[in-house]
Amino acid sequence: MFSRNKNQSSSVSIDMMQKQKRYEALVKAFHADLFRYAMWLIKDRAIAEDVIQETFLRAWKSLDSLKDEAAAKSWLITILRRENARRFERKQFDLVDIDDVAVADPHIFGDVALEHRELRRIMSNLSEEYREPLMMQILMGFSGDEIAEQLNLNKNTVMTRLFRARNQIKETLLGEQLKGEQVNG
Amino acid sequence: MDELSFRRTIYAEPNTTAPNIIQAAKDDPAKQAFWDEVKAMDAQLAQAMNIPIPENFADKLILRRGMDEFSQKRQKRPWYVAIAASVAMVVGISYMALFAGNNGLANDVYAHINHEYMNKEIAMSQQLVSQNAINQKMATFNGVLSGEIGEVLSANYCYLGTIKSLHMIIKGKTGFINLFVVEDNNSKELKEDFSADGLVGTSFLLQSAKIIIIGNDREQVSQLQTATQSAFRF
Repeated sequence: MFSRNKNQSSSVSIDMMQKQKRYEALVKAFHADLFRYAMWLIKDRAIAEDVIQETFLRAWKSLDSLKDEAAAKSWLITILRRENARRFERKQFDLVDIDDVAVADPHIFGDVALEHRELRRIMSNLSEEYREPLMMQILMGFSGDEIAEQLNLNKNTVMTRLFRARNQIKETLLGEQLKGEQVNG
Repeated sequence: MDELSFRRTIYAEPNTTAPNIIQAAKDDPAKQAFWDEVKAMDAQLAQAMNIPIPENFADKLILRRGMDEFSQKRQKRPWYVAIAASVAMVVGISYMALFAGNNGLANDVYAHINHEYMNKEIAMSQQLVSQNAINQKMATFNGVLSGEIGEVLSANYCYLGTIKSLHMIIKGKTGFINLFVVEDNNSKELKEDFSADGLVGTSFLLQSAKIIIIGNDREQVSQLQTATQSAFRF
């Protein structure tokens, strides 16, 4: 009986090692993209970091439910969005004016070339319903169908939002160019 | 294909492989030029989204998960597995052995302040944690830090077993002092004073939160206790 127990416990520890390997592979493959995604969602480094930590802890706890490695990215984004939403359920949450902070200080995203700083400012001014599908498409490489599933929207709506997001960015860029010329001229 | 629906498709999906779009671009150089322009803008956007990630972030995520698992698994582990635990863990185990069966939460606290873990934690932290950064994390516990508690070397969420805490490592005169913030209703079983292996700890209620302080010097622990009582509000 003792030896049976021993076999069981050693197979348990092999399972644990495999789980740990799988987890580390997920962390290494996706932590950077997830962090960037969280930054665009939250616009605060410390909170984004915490949310990613929570996300991966949750991922570990339900790692067995991830059957298909190819779906890992979508699965992690689902957890991340849920973890982010949980922040707002908490009682005291005084970060409502975070958008103003983000606009006032583009350096929260790190030092960047001037043109990127401009694009970042424009992107953080986009409303979330436009910014989020755009991030999913550009940053995470999701297809229209995948975005639709994540955001619980139909694909046409997603495509319209993506169109409007780029349209808005383009118009803002053009508008600023014009303004710049007028000032210079 | 008319101009408008072409533009709509390209704006919505610059990497589209739809045959009618590709054909339309082939037939009309102006459409192709528009497509190239949108692709260039997308490349710029992709670069702009490329925010630098925190240093050692992957290692930190792996370590944090390990600590979480470690403090949860330990209570369930049968005795013979505990005996077989590696020599490297002896320091950590000796804290636990003294406290086994005595106090679950205290065990978890000790697991978080062994030297190896604390050194990693401090190494990965920024030099000093600002009051602002601490307060962002304190919001989870509905608390605010408004006074001096000394130089905080690290402030991170830690799971004590299944209980979420905010773990701060503070530089003392002779070594480090650890401060944990826990929600009060989660920490009923912890005794007020405890000590082991040259470490002394105290826990006390501060409005709606429980504060746990552990260090290697009783005087410093009680000094920090006094400072804490006026510096935090919950």
